[in-house]
Amino acid sequence: MKEFAPYFAMVAATVVLLGSSALAALYWAAKSGQFNNLEENSKTIFDASETLGEVTDAFPGQNSRIAR
Amino acid sequence: MTHLDPNVPEINSRLERALIDASCRVPVLFFFGSAIFWLLAGSLLALVASMKLHTPEFFTWDLGFLTFGRVRPAHLNAVIYGWASAAGIGVGIWLMARLSRVPLRNQFLIIGAGILWNIGVTVGVISILAGKGTSIEWLEFPSYATYILFVAYACIGVWGIDMFVRRKPGHVYVSQWYIFAAFFWFPWLYATANIMLVLMPVQGSTQAIINWWFAHNALGLWFTPFGLAAAYYMIPKVTGKPVHSYYLSILGFWSLALFYSWNGGHHLIGGPIPIWITSAASVASFMMVIPVITTAINHHMTMIGSFHLLKTSPTLRFVVFGAMSYTLASLQGSLMAVPSWSNFFHFTHYTIGHSHLGLYAFFTMIMFGSIYYIVPRLVGWEWPSARLIKIHFWCTAIGITLMIVVLSLAGMLQGLGLSDKNVSFASIINLTIPFLELRSVSGVLLTIGHLAFAISFVLMLFRFGGEKSQPTLFSNTPASKAP
Repeated sequence: MKEFAPYFAMVAATVVLLGSSALAALYWAAKSGQFNNLEENSKTIFDASETLGEVTDAFPGQNSRIAR
Repeated sequence: MTHLDPNVPEINSRLERALIDASCRVPVLFFFGSAIFWLLAGSLLALVASMKLHTPEFFTWDLGFLTFGRVRPAHLNAVIYGWASAAGIGVGIWLMARLSRVPLRNQFLIIGAGILWNIGVTVGVISILAGKGTSIEWLEFPSYATYILFVAYACIGVWGIDMFVRRKPGHVYVSQWYIFAAFFWFPWLYATANIMLVLMPVQGSTQAIINWWFAHNALGLWFTPFGLAAAYYMIPKVTGKPVHSYYLSILGFWSLALFYSWNGGHHLIGGPIPIWITSAASVASFMMVIPVITTAINHHMTMIGSFHLLKTSPTLRFVVFGAMSYTLASLQGSLMAVPSWSNFFHFTHYTIGHSHLGLYAFFTMIMFGSIYYIVPRLVGWEWPSARLIKIHFWCTAIGITLMIVVLSLAGMLQGLGLSDKNVSFASIINLTIPFLELRSVSGVLLTIGHLAFAISFVLMLFRFGGEKSQPTLFSNTPASKAP
């Protein structure tokens, strides 16, 4: 088993680091208010010129602004 | 110039988008262009490999590089590193810039990474065809190609972190989380797997554990985040409606981040490895039902009331097809982690059907849809032909459905036959041949679709087709006037 020691160390380090990076990101997100007011934040992809309710894609030759 | 007054919010937001799109143009089109090249190359390799399974004498002119053992891994690596990764990176770059609301920074880093990465894939695919492949599935590229690819991935990872850090203040949209995570995770996964399997190989069955830890994470922590990020942006953006439940989308992301990396072991159920690894993997595979169901509910509920748009929006057609396939592929994946199911259908064509459901019907279809949305905004031009897009959609949608159905049926018959001591191996082979022939038919359909897509893309780059009588997207946006 001794010859496996470096590999176990590597796997353990990867698992711990990957897991802790995800947990650290989760902690940061909660602390910085990313989870506040979620429903309002879901609208951040719309803006003053591509507004809520505006259809933004159509086949060439079809008017995309028909089905608001 | 009152119509371009940046103090008017509407004009300001258009200018902002136009600047971001202009900054993304060269790198994103480069990634898309090279991705489409590898998609075509991968399709041809796939066709050769598929034909050989039912007609072994196909292409046998004593040419070593055309043997199944080389063509099949060359196909796999061309499509995962050449097509899928490049398309994902291209879509990721554009979404990251748009959602961070800052023009793309460090263009040289991302273009340099793109060039390096194409060199790496070219060297890797040629090496596999020359017989220098490693025989480790998903990591067949020899070590010298791996170094090149790793440098390219690392540059992209650094770029992703830089863009995330410098984003405009405000909310981090769920798609940004997915892309940031993918850019951050993948160089790490890739380096770890290559060190332990290619550069300083571990011994014995540990190789298989690391192999499947990597291959499954490449799907779940690299391709899936790009696919879901695009779906979470494209579906609301095209329909003009926010995500049905943003809360669920966030829950989906964090549960994926915490559970996915345990899944890989389920590929080795019944294999000579410690049983706790496969048990833990089976449990984690079932935990994946949480992010999958949250995503499925969200996409479906967002689409309700907008299904008529599937007729008019090419992006939505492809993306919704992909999002539905995500649910199917993931739930099938959980089912396949049940040991009693896996004992029968593992190591058969069934698994190949499942992998195409995930990487093609889900991921690739969403990438097609996203490219249809992004490229007109970068080129400032409308797609040349609705017919080409429809040919692309129907050939790929029918082709991939046929492929998954025939491979699943063939795999189930094969698995049941292999478990029955009264059935001879040769009779199982003969039984699967008609299914494999149908799989080649599906491959031809997919290739026709890919050709239509490639023609559209090349015409787009040269702005072929002229203005349409009914201008759609660009009738009154400054982006359309950009050079």
